[in-house]
Amino acid sequence: MSSAYFPINDLLRRKLQTSLVVVTLTVVVSSTLSLLLFSERLGFGITAHVEILTYGLSTVLGQFVLFLAFLIFTIGAVITSFIVFLMMKQRTRDFGLMKAVGCPNGLVFGYFMTELLIVTVLGCVLGVVLGFVADFAASNVLQFSIYQKSPNYWFAPLVFFSFFALSLAFGAKPLLDAARLPPLKALSPMQYFSLGHANKFKPLSKSGLVLRISSRSLFRRGSATIRIIVLLSIVFVLLTVALSGGIIAEDTTKLWVAKAVGVDNVLLAHNIMCDQYILLLSKFFGENGNSNFDYSDERFALPDEVFQGLKTLTGIEGVDPRLVLTENVQELSSYMIDPETLATIPVGDNRISDVIVVGVDPDKIVTESVTKGQFLNTSSDWNAVIGDTVMDAMYAPDLSKKIRVSDPLLQSIKIRDNPFKIIGVCVDPTNNGNVTYVPLKKLQNVTGILNTNIALIKLDSSIDRAETLKTLETFVENSYPDFSVFDLNEVLEKDIMFLGSTWSIVMLLPLLTLISASLCLVGFMMLTADEQRQEFAILRAVGAKPNTIIAVLTIQSTTVLLSSFAAGISLGIITTLMILVPNPVVTVGTIAEVAVLLLAALFGLLLLSLYPAVKLAKTPILRIIT
Amino acid sequence: MLTENPDYTVVAVGLCKIYQMGSSEIEVLRDVSFSVKKGSFVALCGPSGSGKTTLLNLISGIDKPTGGQIEVLGQNVNELDEDLLAEFRCNELGFVFQSYNLVSTLTVAENVAFPMEWRRRPEEEITKRVTELLEMVGLGQRANHFPAQLSGGEQQRVAFARALANDPRLFLADEPTGNLDTKNGEKITEILQILKSMGKTVIVSTHDAEIVRLADQKICLEDGKLVSQNE
Repeated sequence: MSSAYFPINDLLRRKLQTSLVVVTLTVVVSSTLSLLLFSERLGFGITAHVEILTYGLSTVLGQFVLFLAFLIFTIGAVITSFIVFLMMKQRTRDFGLMKAVGCPNGLVFGYFMTELLIVTVLGCVLGVVLGFVADFAASNVLQFSIYQKSPNYWFAPLVFFSFFALSLAFGAKPLLDAARLPPLKALSPMQYFSLGHANKFKPLSKSGLVLRISSRSLFRRGSATIRIIVLLSIVFVLLTVALSGGIIAEDTTKLWVAKAVGVDNVLLAHNIMCDQYILLLSKFFGENGNSNFDYSDERFALPDEVFQGLKTLTGIEGVDPRLVLTENVQELSSYMIDPETLATIPVGDNRISDVIVVGVDPDKIVTESVTKGQFLNTSSDWNAVIGDTVMDAMYAPDLSKKIRVSDPLLQSIKIRDNPFKIIGVCVDPTNNGNVTYVPLKKLQNVTGILNTNIALIKLDSSIDRAETLKTLETFVENSYPDFSVFDLNEVLEKDIMFLGSTWSIVMLLPLLTLISASLCLVGFMMLTADEQRQEFAILRAVGAKPNTIIAVLTIQSTTVLLSSFAAGISLGIITTLMILVPNPVVTVGTIAEVAVLLLAALFGLLLLSLYPAVKLAKTPILRIIT
Repeated sequence: MLTENPDYTVVAVGLCKIYQMGSSEIEVLRDVSFSVKKGSFVALCGPSGSGKTTLLNLISGIDKPTGGQIEVLGQNVNELDEDLLAEFRCNELGFVFQSYNLVSTLTVAENVAFPMEWRRRPEEEITKRVTELLEMVGLGQRANHFPAQLSGGEQQRVAFARALANDPRLFLADEPTGNLDTKNGEKITEILQILKSMGKTVIVSTHDAEIVRLADQKICLEDGKLVSQNE
């Protein structure tokens, strides 16, 4: 027998088992690789560099992706160890048999090690290929420019070797164990089914026959049962976090963006300024902005007559005039008293950055930003509200610069030598959150620019929107041909669509893990069915109907799944609500959606797990016995 | 109907069984015809590989013939679907295999009881019958033990008790003493004697001379062919 001939033929002969292991490995490797490629594409790493979204939203998503990546890798590792362990453990009997007929230990070990190497390499290579294909498909389906970056190919060897090493380590263990066993022991079902050594427990003695057989069989295979319950519990944590967390976080973050841009708002500005402002909002989904733009160009100034004219139009709920400028601003450090030592502690430093400064009239604001602290409410105070990205760039502790304590709400921001007290930090998609709001009059005072360059117009939602928009456009076109009106709902939709697509991909990846977990469950149920094969044959020969076999295995599968479901869902919900999303938006609809999806996953897993049961029930008794 | 005579428990006409092994065919039974009278004790004899187990499998409906017909207790077992066959085996047949007889996750008492549970007999009746049967096979004290805690002979006796649980009209046993030592073999023979005295129809495939001696009818097979049928 050639040393390559036997392993290859043996793998081909055991088509179902071989393909189960290869497909499981492929899915695990590809889902891990896809998540890494996607995260890298979006810039979610340990250091978030804000090219899309805002710092706050990147943090929410990044934290989410990091947690999912951790779970996916953990599950991948557990699944790999489990499926490879199952595959090789089942070979213990063959190992014993070959040794019993005189095949040298080293040669038998070599045969099975070659088998392990073949399936591992095949699974990992296919996984890497599928991972890139999935990434390529996602980047082509989603047309946002940020997705069009080329992937980081270095992730391929990283993921490949991680899973290759894991598979070899976990697969070689049962082989080494089998090599140490005398043939007689290796041939015992106690070894190859990992059975308990004694039937000391008699659980559910008073219950029906089917329930009794099911529960005792599960108890007897305690080790494998616990493994699969732990594995499926982590899968359900992942699913709950991905689905409930994803849906809740998606709803929450979409609401934040919608409030900040404003629903039903229309932009009125000079044609060039209009394009630039839209670009500032489009940077949220990866569009490149023009950093040399001169906002103070006098051509952009909105004439006072425009505002007078707007008052004559119907269907307008409010007009929010704004002055948008780019300014080089400076952080102002502060001090605080340590309550214990009463020592003075410096807070922050004097960091400098270019930000978009927006002057607004607090009495006329038509948008609503989600703000930590408070938003501007008076024109008379020298107050400012900074975007979350400004906070990260200028007001975060930075040990490399020896800034240990920093808190924007205790500090100020200096614009053209005038300090503004920071009273809030907001989530705002404008310029990726690199924005600062100050009272319009104060900004006009410090810059000497006495006009405004954009106006946000809130349309009355009770009146026909299209009609009002058309009237507005006609008014601007006729009176001020250099100016234009832009429906901000268009850019808001794109912002939200980008956010939605990002969340969708993040939520889709755990589905790949679910597939591999399903295959793992099928593997476990195959082991279960195999272990009880003779007994099922006896039951059927004595008068059990084929459905009895399905019932026994269904109860075992349901027990495993429900135990995992209960543990996984509880942990998943706690994790989602407590850790991942601050101030979540949870509606009855969201809960129903999550519940339906999770139950569908449970039901799907149950159906899949019954495949070995149905297959065995359809097998003639004689074939089972022999 | 192969015969209108209700005195016959098994009637087989021209039974053939061919197994397909890859591209080759193995003819295990060739044109076997016989009948078994109600209440008779039949010994199925012949060397290993002569087709005894296959014949028992065909009688019990565990396997289907490639050709010919077989009627058991007035039923053409070839025509029954899996569910009806299961019911038939549960209610009318008792079958003891040479090995792998018991469900390892159930205790001795539970192993004997489960065919009755399928018939939904009252719990008190099941308990009484289990005690009765275990006493009959001499294992009354082992009711709460698991199969792994019994010897091979004891396991085989439990299998006999289980096969009798639903008071079957036809009792089949495939080399019941084949794996046992002389002492345990004798005990099994004693049980078979009890069954004979109870007037059960019994078909046993065996090499055991003691069991053959009990037989009213002897069916001998060789290379799948019926070579003799003595009453």
